Amino acid sequence: MWTRKASFTFTGGIALILIGMMIANLQMMILGISFIAFIVVNSWISGHGDVEVQRTLSADNLYKGDDLYVELLVTNRSNRNTQLLEVYDNIPHEMKLRSGLNQMRLNLRPGESARIRYVLRCPLRGHYSIGPVSLRSRNTFNLGVDEMYVDHHSDIVIFPQIKEVEEAFLRSRTPKMYTGATTLRTPGQGSEFYSLREYVPGDPFKNINWKAFARTGELMVNEKCRDAVTDLYILLDSRDIARIGTVLKNPLEMGTVSAASLAAFFLKRRDSVALAIFDDNLSYLPPDTGDKQYFKILSALAGVAPKGAMPLQAVTNSLSGRFSRGSPVFIISSCEGDGTVPAAVRDLVGRGHEVTVLSPSSIDFERLVSRIPRMSYEVLKLERQNRLTTLAGSGAMVIDWMPDMDLSQALMQVRGY
Amino acid sequence: MADDVGLQGDVTISGEVRPRTLHLKMLRKQWQIITLQIIGTVALIGMYLEVVSTYVVGSIDHTMLFDTIEILIGDQLPIGDWLTGEGRSGLARFFVPLVLGLAVGGGMALLAFQTPTVQQRIKLGFIITLIVALVGQLLFSWLTGMLFSFDLRLPNASELSTLEWPLLMILSLMILFLYLLPVIMGVRGIWGLSRRSIAWAIGFTLLFLGVHAILAFPLINGQLGDYGNSVSVIGAQFSEPTVGIFGLMLVTKEQFALIMIAILIMVFQESSYGVIRYLEYAYRLPESCKRDPEYVRQMDNVLNTHLKHTFGFLGLTGIATMVALGFHSVLLGIVEDSTGSQWAGQVSESIELSLTYGLVISAAMFLSIMALLRFFVPWERLWGLIYARNTPEAASQAKEVVDI
Repeated sequence: MWTRKASFTFTGGIALILIGMMIANLQMMILGISFIAFIVVNSWISGHGDVEVQRTLSADNLYKGDDLYVELLVTNRSNRNTQLLEVYDNIPHEMKLRSGLNQMRLNLRPGESARIRYVLRCPLRGHYSIGPVSLRSRNTFNLGVDEMYVDHHSDIVIFPQIKEVEEAFLRSRTPKMYTGATTLRTPGQGSEFYSLREYVPGDPFKNINWKAFARTGELMVNEKCRDAVTDLYILLDSRDIARIGTVLKNPLEMGTVSAASLAAFFLKRRDSVALAIFDDNLSYLPPDTGDKQYFKILSALAGVAPKGAMPLQAVTNSLSGRFSRGSPVFIISSCEGDGTVPAAVRDLVGRGHEVTVLSPSSIDFERLVSRIPRMSYEVLKLERQNRLTTLAGSGAMVIDWMPDMDLSQALMQVRGY
Repeated sequence: MADDVGLQGDVTISGEVRPRTLHLKMLRKQWQIITLQIIGTVALIGMYLEVVSTYVVGSIDHTMLFDTIEILIGDQLPIGDWLTGEGRSGLARFFVPLVLGLAVGGGMALLAFQTPTVQQRIKLGFIITLIVALVGQLLFSWLTGMLFSFDLRLPNASELSTLEWPLLMILSLMILFLYLLPVIMGVRGIWGLSRRSIAWAIGFTLLFLGVHAILAFPLINGQLGDYGNSVSVIGAQFSEPTVGIFGLMLVTKEQFALIMIAILIMVFQESSYGVIRYLEYAYRLPESCKRDPEYVRQMDNVLNTHLKHTFGFLGLTGIATMVALGFHSVLLGIVEDSTGSQWAGQVSESIELSLTYGLVISAAMFLSIMALLRFFVPWERLWGLIYARNTPEAASQAKEVVDI
């Protein structure tokens, strides 16, 4: 395709020839013929040779905030030069270039190759695809331009960030009852003896083994086997209302981070974790343990997008039959725009579940993006407090999670539970 | 998989190897860039000399204008003849002014790379010098005259006459500047990396050619009377061609000069704009890419290609134009030789065919055939095959970079 410059040169050439003929001026005619000859000679070389593109990523799965190293190998497989070739690797707009550049101007001789290396920062969780590779070949004098793309994609999943959660905030009052429940051979809070170890400052005095002290002359403490906890159920609110706030800070983002962190924490302790995500419909991942479950949960959380308005009671009604008796249930929801939350929580508590409501404060998220008059803010805040108080009154542990509060800091509110 | 992805390369100084990066400071000294700039400058000088030798010298050149002014004022202009080229003949009249123009353009380019403060100071100094040169002598003689005579008065005639020299000097310099405008602006554009200046240089040349073409048009030229005679008119009909390639005479000397002007304009434009385009690209690259050997290598490739194409394609353009202009004689020769009829003889002797219409139509035919050739001859593949045969190890060529 001709560029603007080529069009102007051609038109100018024709105009000069015509004017030159009109006024019998040979200089103008020759100038015009030269311009046309310039276009003609340059038209002999157009397009580019067959280019092969190969992309290598440093990882297929990453955590939010991590860096992704990308290498693009461009090889000229044809028997001709590529001419001035601009290679542009299309990256999702959510990703930011941290180092290097995803484009290069090159001119590859037959068989020659070039490597484009760059680093991407992935600030948002989700399923992404890098590619296709856009190619634009230009004539040396910028007279012709051809654009095409190589349909080469690399898929990548960005998992939610995993935050550190402090030891054992949650334990079921009811131990696992069904067959196969085992005492885990790991130290922790429990009833069965695990081993003796030396006393370290901070250990409770009641754990000191006085007999061992008498025998060895050194303070020794009893370590217990950690009790197997029951299955943990995480209900994540992914309704449309959860998008309130900025792209990086909104109830849904904080919810996914907390769900991933809690799941990671409990799965690491070899507990079973189930995940239910409700938006315009309900997707449920049954309780399981191990790395596979961990990956499933993270993949599910990576793809969460705010949509729909399914009430919580519909979720609890359909799932309560599957919940293990007395198992802890984590509800991660802003509790906005859903009048069924108190009833659902009351129902779960009534069935003997330990319900914890982790509620990101959507009003404070909204404040990040829009100006709310002070009076309105106070009223909305009061309404929210009343809502949370009602939930607490139903027997649930309620955590009011502010935007600037870290997850472990928020969970401190249930310490000693 | 993570191990497969290497970090972006970097350059470092190691032993005798010089580091190569795409920082402007370094890139400006790269031989390809300097070569392109030199090609641009030579093309500019060549174009200017071709234009003045074809249209200006002995017709409307600056020495003739200076002579006319000197006759009008009845005195010599303050600017020296050695500087203006007065007294010399032919193109020699332009040699010293040309050097002056190159120096001024180079100075302006150098000024463009100074800090804004330095630029401001130099411009201020220039303006003050100009004012002092213009009215300094007048003010000094007038004020001292008033001081010694204790009299408040207007400057007298002898004091006012001190304005004559600076005014004539500035007028002479302005005339020279006007004549040298393409050179000054062109040099400033090439070495000072100014697109606007390059556009000025090309635009002024084309404007001159356009104005000259209008003045040389017989109807208008006739209206100019004696002045019209001084405009050098190149006739549409030429004598036998004397310039050609491979023993085939294609164009006359006059036509060749006109082709040279056109080709040199394009060489100047493409090489000077090319330099700016590549330096702009390098400037916009992030720091890590400027230090990446891969980017350095590809920049080398791109610049080398530009150099080759500047010679190859623009040379071919010149040859194609020559052949196109001489194509009508080839056609006429074919007609005459192939038929040998009376009609063919009459056609070949037809003056119309060697005039504008015949010339343009035959040139258009030749260029159309050339344009069609791209569909029949795979130039790029041929070139690639020749290249691959000659340099099988091309892809693994060592470069002056060190990868860490």
